[in-house]
Amino acid sequence: MAAFVKRYGSLFGMLAIVVVFWIALPDTFMTARNLLNISQQVAMLTVVAVTMTLVMVTGDFDLSVGSMASLAAVVAAVLFTRDWPLGAALAVALAAGVAGGIANGFLVAVLGILPFVATLATLTMFSGAAFVFSGGKTIFGRDIPQALSDFARAGLPLGTAGDKPLLLPALTLVALGMTALVWLLLEQTTYGRRLYAIGGNAEAARMAGVRVRLLRLSAFAVTGFGASLAGLMYMARVASANPVQGDGLMLSAIAAVFLGMTVTRDGQPHVLATVAGVLTLGVLDNGLTQLQVDSYVRQVLVGAIILAAVSSSAIGRKALRLR
Amino acid sequence: MPHLRVTDLEKSFGAARALDRAALDLRGGEVHALMGENGAGKSTLIRILAGLEQADAGRVTLDDVPLRLGSPDAARAAGFRFLHQELHVIPALGVAENMHLSHPYPLRFGLVDWPALRAAAAKALGRLGAGHIDPSAPMGELGAGDQMLVRIAATLLPEPATRATTPAPWAYVFDEPTASLTGDEAARLFAAIARLKADGAGILYVSHRMDEVMALADRITVLRDGAHVATRNRAVTSRDEIIHDMTGRAMADLFPPHVRHADEPVLTVRDLSAPGLSGVGFDLARGEILGLAGLSGAGRGAVLRALIGDLPRRGHLNLDGTDLADTPAGAWAQGVAYVPRERRSQGVMLARALGETIALPHLARLSTRFGLLRHRAQAALVRHLAHEVRLKASGPAQPVAELSGGNQQKVLFARALAGQPRVLLLDEPTRGVDVGAKFDIYALIRRMAESGTGVIVASSDLVELIGLCTRVAVMDRGRIAAILPTEGLTEAALLTACYGKEG
Repeated sequence: MAAFVKRYGSLFGMLAIVVVFWIALPDTFMTARNLLNISQQVAMLTVVAVTMTLVMVTGDFDLSVGSMASLAAVVAAVLFTRDWPLGAALAVALAAGVAGGIANGFLVAVLGILPFVATLATLTMFSGAAFVFSGGKTIFGRDIPQALSDFARAGLPLGTAGDKPLLLPALTLVALGMTALVWLLLEQTTYGRRLYAIGGNAEAARMAGVRVRLLRLSAFAVTGFGASLAGLMYMARVASANPVQGDGLMLSAIAAVFLGMTVTRDGQPHVLATVAGVLTLGVLDNGLTQLQVDSYVRQVLVGAIILAAVSSSAIGRKALRLR
Repeated sequence: MPHLRVTDLEKSFGAARALDRAALDLRGGEVHALMGENGAGKSTLIRILAGLEQADAGRVTLDDVPLRLGSPDAARAAGFRFLHQELHVIPALGVAENMHLSHPYPLRFGLVDWPALRAAAAKALGRLGAGHIDPSAPMGELGAGDQMLVRIAATLLPEPATRATTPAPWAYVFDEPTASLTGDEAARLFAAIARLKADGAGILYVSHRMDEVMALADRITVLRDGAHVATRNRAVTSRDEIIHDMTGRAMADLFPPHVRHADEPVLTVRDLSAPGLSGVGFDLARGEILGLAGLSGAGRGAVLRALIGDLPRRGHLNLDGTDLADTPAGAWAQGVAYVPRERRSQGVMLARALGETIALPHLARLSTRFGLLRHRAQAALVRHLAHEVRLKASGPAQPVAELSGGNQQKVLFARALAGQPRVLLLDEPTRGVDVGAKFDIYALIRRMAESGTGVIVASSDLVELIGLCTRVAVMDRGRIAAILPTEGLTEAALLTACYGKEG
């Protein structure tokens, strides 16, 4: 019984949350429109969390993703104000994310600085850089290309509900694409299996011929890419960029990966489990907002649910039976 | 003298019967070795004594009074103390404070009385003959051997007045204590054990190392498949008899006969220098098993680590006509396989499926051109290799941590076997491995050599080197002092060569 709770407890918990909202909000929660809405709300978080899964598989983590998301959006927006073409500005912003990720990876994997310390430092630096580039101001209105906002509002037609068309949002599609990509990387390529081996025992992996430094560094690079992509998605959605708008992503992304680890059999990060974690956070946010629960109370509840999930499963205690 | 008697002890885990009428008899003033293959029930017996497991049936008496075990506190109250190979110490705290972790600190005006704390520690260390350890030194600066002495000395601290009813500790259980000790450290530990024994303590000594047991023990109890096989007096028994008790097999069977190998070299090493090594040179022939002997620190393991590319190195290393790569990744790709000494920290991924540890160095071969993993090919390879090494496991998905030491080692052998390596590097291949698994591993090494792989074995087990290898290179302070053919070589002669100029 205890083992059953440990293994499936948080999965049932996630389902229970959905059921509770379904009952409490009979007319508005379990509707196609609301679910599609949730999928769009969590699209940015999904991208950050699935790429964060990559570094957490190797046993590292990255605190700088939130400020990297802000920085990428600011970089693109500043370039827009200087009349750069859309594609070039986005490419530079994404490249900045990859470069930031490589910097993190270099500090952690090559210099051997603890990920907590290294990415805490770069978090501060990226955040500072975002303020410097933007002059501390929000960039919005005509400076943000219309094409971006159009993209964020576009989607794949799924049919109609009432008289309005139902769209699978473009941002959701981006998130799905990134999820599929990271899943492929982690579960179906030798690259991913090597990352899991590093997480299992980095020293043993090195002795077995795995290029540990390079792979750890590369995982940070992918995470940096994911963070900057999420920042650009956010900018498209709100049609503005300011130096703090991505900051909230970091804690939620780490929370999502941890929530996901509570449903996996081996207590390790997995992409699809991370997505389950993201959806749990998204559903909570959406449902509690609809129930008009005060946003501060909401924070307390979300934190409590994360603690409940982690403590009911084994991962918080590393209860591994050794002989 | 206290007298602990365990009879008819039974314990099952589900369907698996760990103890089946096990028995043990420990008196104060003796060193009693407990031997048996992995899975023979030694650990279960100790865990029951320690109160970590409950016996299903059986009698435990202390001086003919039934003893109620079942919790660590009860074991402590009975005077038992347990010293495991992996010690729990707090590296940042001083020696004296580490010794007082389960004792109250001496106080003065309600504050810690530091001089008294150090004096108590120094006194206990002195009783153990460990006066060379400074009670105020940080624990982390001590070697593994001294840390163990500190842990033993802690049991000699006087019990506080509040626990006046508790009997003094009298029974010490050592579980593979020398696994991570150097020769000198082990010698100090043996001296400490002798002192404990002279003070009337009973020592239960669990070890796979026959040399130690034969040197140290007064009596030897052997368990096999959870049952008591025999308790023998060391003075009137022999290694052969003990090995026969453990396995039902004689020692001569351990080593298959030598085979002749070709003369054509697969690996030539000239002027190899690395941290701890200088001017090392030798040829390894196809199908040859070359031994590396020497005292601890002489550079046996360093040669292997330099060859696999774990140590920065200089020199001319030639593998089948090409330069040997200088990173582990490159060396594996060229067909060099390596089984490291530190199985847990450098070999396996404990928490992960054993199949992953096996497949790891071979992932490149198990993937398509686009890096996609061929799951079926991986599963087939793992299954084939697990069968090849006679791995006892429930399946490729079983976590390595659940396997016994011998089977963990077989996991590392399985992966070294894959794809017929040209050179196989083995560092202490049978360390912490029971006799049955040893036999399997020796047979495997032989089979690899017969199929043309050049094998280098670094080992501190001289019997193993003589039985297994065709030649043994004796290392002395980072150099090869001599290369001896093993035909007609005795253990004594090899040991003398190891001591070389130092001796």
